Amino acid sequence: MNAITPNTPSLPAPVGLLAELTHRCPLRCPYCSNPLELDRRSGELDTATWQRVLTEAAGLGVLHVHLSGGEPTARNDIVEITQTCARLGLYSNLITSGVGGALAKLDALYDAGLDHVQLSVQGVDAANAEKIGGLKNAQPQKFAFAERVTQLGLPLTLNSVIHRGNIHEVEGFIDLAVKLGAKRLEVAHTQYYGWAYVNRAALMPDKAQVDQSIRIVEAARERLKGQLVIDLVVPDYYAKYPKACAGGWGRKLMNVTPAGKVLPCHAAETIKHLEFWYVSDHSLADIWANSPAFTAYRGTDWMKEPCRSCDRREKDWGGCRCQALALAGDAAATDPACSLSPLHSKVRELAKEEAAETPPDYVYRTIGSNVDRAAPPPLKEDAPL
Amino acid sequence: MTAPFPTPKTDESQRLLSPEELEAALRDIGARRYHNLHPFHRLLHDGKLNKDQIRAWALNRYYYQAMIPVKDAAVLARMEDASLRRVWRQRIVDHDGDAPGDGGIERWLKLAEGVGFRRDYVESTQGILSATRFSVDAYVHFVKERSLLEAIASSLTEMFSPTIISERVAGMLKNYDFITKDTLAYFDKRLTQAPRDAEFAIDYVKQHATTPELQRQAMAALTFKCNVLWTQLDALYFSYVAPGMTPPDAWVPGTGLVAEVAQAAGTGTVRSADVPRLPRGVRLRHDEVRGQHVLLAPERTFDLDANAVAVLSLVDGQRSVRDIAVKLAETFAADPDVIEADVLAMLNDLATKRVLER
Repeated sequence: MNAITPNTPSLPAPVGLLAELTHRCPLRCPYCSNPLELDRRSGELDTATWQRVLTEAAGLGVLHVHLSGGEPTARNDIVEITQTCARLGLYSNLITSGVGGALAKLDALYDAGLDHVQLSVQGVDAANAEKIGGLKNAQPQKFAFAERVTQLGLPLTLNSVIHRGNIHEVEGFIDLAVKLGAKRLEVAHTQYYGWAYVNRAALMPDKAQVDQSIRIVEAARERLKGQLVIDLVVPDYYAKYPKACAGGWGRKLMNVTPAGKVLPCHAAETIKHLEFWYVSDHSLADIWANSPAFTAYRGTDWMKEPCRSCDRREKDWGGCRCQALALAGDAAATDPACSLSPLHSKVRELAKEEAAETPPDYVYRTIGSNVDRAAPPPLKEDAPL
Repeated sequence: MTAPFPTPKTDESQRLLSPEELEAALRDIGARRYHNLHPFHRLLHDGKLNKDQIRAWALNRYYYQAMIPVKDAAVLARMEDASLRRVWRQRIVDHDGDAPGDGGIERWLKLAEGVGFRRDYVESTQGILSATRFSVDAYVHFVKERSLLEAIASSLTEMFSPTIISERVAGMLKNYDFITKDTLAYFDKRLTQAPRDAEFAIDYVKQHATTPELQRQAMAALTFKCNVLWTQLDALYFSYVAPGMTPPDAWVPGTGLVAEVAQAAGTGTVRSADVPRLPRGVRLRHDEVRGQHVLLAPERTFDLDANAVAVLSLVDGQRSVRDIAVKLAETFAADPDVIEADVLAMLNDLATKRVLER
């Protein structure tokens, strides 16, 4: 029905597949990127289906597979799935909390041909880290896991999500990465979608803290050049221009949920009017080219002003659609994180105000329970704050 | 008071020495106990220490240097005579400098940086041996608790230091290619400061040690100070020479260093003779869908041009950079030196990004 096939100039092939193998996770981080309504184990794709999806992904041009979750090692078939990646030449990246059964499966994953490990660390101080992650005794498990990763000779990346509860530990995260023998460190300021949007007031740091954290990272990059690569994701609300979400909608990334729903990014389900296709009904190539969710905001045709005539439109692709919906009430609006958005000053003020208040308690992520705090409403241009 | 230090046991010790005899007795203590006689210092002077042993020495000795003004301030605080204080305060000025970037502590930091340390790491003193800390702290406590005469006498090791310092400069410059004249700037200054300080102190001791008991105390104080220095070298030898028992939390080679040095020690800075390799988690792959070669690495993909593919295809963990350049020079009928420069630039870029090792 549609003449567009993957990897034509108008439709480049996807580079990465985010395989959310399960939503189950021993941690309960209040900024989790999983949706508020988590998939249950009974609804998860089986091994054979994942293997088919991976085979289709390789054929489509995917190079990197991010084995994620939830906690991907909670799947009994994680080793088999990793083997499949290796057999297909796909670069496998395990995105893990390092707790629970992760360590027990690590050697088998290495033997299966795992390429890289990204380990999350919630904090440097164990008590703080375990408060954020909502799991006691997590920190020593993570350190033991990291030690085994480097012992095996696997490249290790530490991922630290930064917010007001740990922004004072940025220097510590850098030292920790060096100490644990990581080659990469992600200092990723929280992006406020999903659980993080609900918890925004508890997580939002103030501008001075953010600026300080950026200075620390820049100094460390210089100091540790050749020893540790540090990737910095600056917080949207304080940025001048938005991020090209997932490298541009439907341009680089596919995200398959535990139940097999295929999303252009992990938060896309918050845009309620989008129609998502499932791997059980369509091939990955068909979904990439033709699924209404992927075509909705691909390219620039859907853009409104100021994006439409902006010379950055093919750089940041209008920013994040989910954030546009959450903050502006319109998924096709300019991401209010952009300084060119009419709502941008409101976003700044909002961040400033929330950061100045006493933080509320975290709403921890859980499967199958109601979120007892309403997500913040969208901003209006004339709305008093 | 019970003397915790060895004292002469002969009848001689009961006799009041003339000032000249006292000075000779004090110099004799140095001749037998000063730390230039320590095996670690012999290794240091003879160019027999490796770079990491030199680093351990510079790092630990920093704590001693850093605490000297604290010690001198404690001595100063006990001096009731302004004319004494005017002289003694110069020691603090010499060590702390009159402004940031000046003074003896700063020069020691330059030495530590010169051998590769990060300044903040050295200043933190987190990597020093406990024995270093205990010895140095004991010295500070000593000058606070003992008489002013003993405090001043304990500084008399300076009488012995000029010799050893010139020996150290010469010895090190001769034997360690990584020690430069700049790095050793500290010692140039101490050569003139130390004799001046020592002259005042020995005069004071000769003048104030007016009884056999006071003379004995002065000698014991100097012996104590020699032990402060000696013990620090014992600990360095034990941890970093033989048997190599490094206590938990003490500095281990490869840590606390500035990036370029850490690079040279591990990955990074690829040179002609090095054998580069792609570590686990970095793979060269042909991408059929896009019809090109790519280098797959943690969280990123490098699109490769034909030249990069030609180089990386030869990176096999067996060939040196030179081998690769020669091989490419044959293939492309080009000058191997020109090719090698390009290959090194490319491999170093990848090493900086942590996707290539050697």
